[in-house]
Amino acid sequence: MRFPRFFAKKRGHRRTVSEVWGSVAEGLFHAGLVVAGLVFGGLLATGVAVPEWRINHHFVEAEAIVVGKGLARRTTARERTWEPAIRLRYETPAGPIEAWAFRGGPIASRERALTVLADVSLDAAMPCWYDPDAPDSVVVTRGYNWWMWTLTLLLPGALVAFGGAGLVRSIMGWRKSEERRAVTFRPVTANPHPAIPSCDDLINSPGTVLRFRLPTSGSEGWTLLGIGLFAVLWNSVLTVLAVTAGLDLIGGRIDWLLLLILVPFAGVGVAGVVRFVRQLVLTSAVGNTQLEISEHPLRPGGHYDVMLAQSGSGAFQKLTVTLELEEQATFRQGTDTRTERHVVWRSTIASWKDVQLAPGTRFEAKARLTLPASAMHSFVSEHNVVAWRVVVHGRAARWPAFSRGFPVVVHPVSPAVGHAEPQEVSL
Amino acid sequence: MTPRSNPFATRYTRPGAILPLDGEGQPVDIARLAEDTLRMRGLSIEGPHGTGKSTLLAAVAAAFELRGHLGANVRLRQFRDAVTAIVAVGRAAPGSVVCLDGWNVLGPLAWLVRTLAWLRGVILVVTSHWTTGLPLVVPTSVTLPLLAAIVERLPDHGGSINAADLADALRHHPTNLREALLELYDSFETRIRGGALAGAPDQSAPPNRGRS
Amino acid sequence: MSSGLDTAARSPRVAASFSSADRRYEPLENIQVRYTVELPPTAVVRSVERSILWYTEGKGEEDIGVHYFERITERAAVMTAAAAGSFETRLPVSPLSYEGVIVKIRWCARVRLFFEEGRDFVSEHVFELGHVPVAAIVLS
Repeated sequence: MRFPRFFAKKRGHRRTVSEVWGSVAEGLFHAGLVVAGLVFGGLLATGVAVPEWRINHHFVEAEAIVVGKGLARRTTARERTWEPAIRLRYETPAGPIEAWAFRGGPIASRERALTVLADVSLDAAMPCWYDPDAPDSVVVTRGYNWWMWTLTLLLPGALVAFGGAGLVRSIMGWRKSEERRAVTFRPVTANPHPAIPSCDDLINSPGTVLRFRLPTSGSEGWTLLGIGLFAVLWNSVLTVLAVTAGLDLIGGRIDWLLLLILVPFAGVGVAGVVRFVRQLVLTSAVGNTQLEISEHPLRPGGHYDVMLAQSGSGAFQKLTVTLELEEQATFRQGTDTRTERHVVWRSTIASWKDVQLAPGTRFEAKARLTLPASAMHSFVSEHNVVAWRVVVHGRAARWPAFSRGFPVVVHPVSPAVGHAEPQEVSL
Repeated sequence: MTPRSNPFATRYTRPGAILPLDGEGQPVDIARLAEDTLRMRGLSIEGPHGTGKSTLLAAVAAAFELRGHLGANVRLRQFRDAVTAIVAVGRAAPGSVVCLDGWNVLGPLAWLVRTLAWLRGVILVVTSHWTTGLPLVVPTSVTLPLLAAIVERLPDHGGSINAADLADALRHHPTNLREALLELYDSFETRIRGGALAGAPDQSAPPNRGRS
Repeated sequence: MSSGLDTAARSPRVAASFSSADRRYEPLENIQVRYTVELPPTAVVRSVERSILWYTEGKGEEDIGVHYFERITERAAVMTAAAAGSFETRLPVSPLSYEGVIVKIRWCARVRLFFEEGRDFVSEHVFELGHVPVAAIVLS
């Protein structure tokens, strides 16, 4: 059974110096979370769950007569509320008792609170339930408030689960060899292609011409959004500062410090807007790039059809489709983490020059992709990746060059006979 | 080491894999440093990124462990690791040594850890980018003799790396040994492959250079 | 390759031989590893672990993936396994051994001895799975 990681652990082996104390820290941290969750949940439960349970299971039913009704006013520094209340007379083993029972909870509007009592008549009979341990504690409704329970237990439940999962992981990793820990936390499974990334996300989009449409690995949309958000936020702050400075000037005061700050702020703000507009125009002008492929995953020595569809407007001086193999290595530098990338193989699949596009149209072309017979398969582990991708490089007239990558997964050549069964692990 | 292993891979250069050396490239007298630390009741290894602080700390910790003086040896990576540091100091026996790699991540809690150590009579050995105030200080820095001595102690590079490569690496990264070693990694890979491909960056098939 | 104890005089020695003389295997092929151990006179082994795994080497942090793992703790079995033994498994289809530029993938057999005083000693013996050519360097 695998316990989930609730956050992406900072890359790097954190216990290369002291296994024991690394485990202690992590264990204490998660134990702290478990305790916090339990305490918080306990406090909430005793404040919410226990009273509700007692009302529904422990209180004694009686027939009551309404002898009065009114509103309980509660005033705090911030607000005033009105809680409808009914005065009841009912019989208990100790004799008759008169007590107030609240109905409906606090309401901000007095008029609305009064309407809650509109259907209650003096001398009317109604059922009630009283606490046998404190007979003057009485209610006129019972049941469970499921929304309250869900919200009440959601946060402490999350804390307990988060802390509990981490605590179990810490205990399970205590004082074990590297190999044993690897087996404990990543059990040998019946995966027919260990250490090869899944291509489920790459084959869930059908193509219009070929079998699959590949997703892009680029993040142009997010880049544009990020630049736009930055420009909006920065210029909002700039506007506030500028207005403040302007009002000061109108009032005959000169705040030199504010004016000094405004200058670089304005520069950054203008640059942000320019950058956003430029990126927007570039994204619009270059248009969408789509790539379809006839089969996936790929295998060494295989031949595949690919289809490029490029939209946009104007002239494209060159469009090139390449197949690349890239290695990625992640390592620690002090407290920082760094990832290096290196392309170790590249082949041109097809290339086109002087492509003219009218608005609303798109350029479509097919090509043949051949994977070398001795190609390395795709590989992924926690800090190291060997990844294949098809890259579309383009240069539109009057715009900078662009590159858009489409990841593909390459499996090893299928061996003749079955696959290795997972090995029994004796721990 | 297997054929074609890069001697500058992280496996061979990570802290603890290399013996600590001083600026002249000579082995640090760890035993004497340990004695001085016990006598002065604290050691701070101070220097910029990638200058061998963790490597020296690992060796000092090993020395204390051999003597039976090591209370704990902890690597601090994030602020929440302050919990580890506090627990380590809290549980260490009086007079024992607690090694903390990454003192600066403690931030404002550093004074708490130091105070706790003083109250418990625990000796701190730390690495830090800045001054810690501990009584004994060993500064670390990068020099060409140090880099050359390290390379000499790594697995054999078969003559792929020469003195000019070391000088170039240090010229490009004068204060960071780790970066210099990463550059030497690249140089080694380039050399064993017969140099970078000249001319076209494109090829229709990878060169078939399987192992013999 | 062996590592773990302080001086050569006190270090165990583990010699290993493979069912394939050139230590090259194909995916799904059976691999058998035989080993012998020379222990220092005073060493007392309390458990033995034998494994076949891949690991990464290069610029990135090391990752490992264990394909075969066996831990021996029963006293009589430990005494035998700490002197000599063999283990075998059927290798998987991936990952294949790979000589990349900044990422390399190596397969190995490991024998790890745990001693009474708390220390451990690991001996690693590399073999090759598949025959992927050495990766080139491409100018970006």
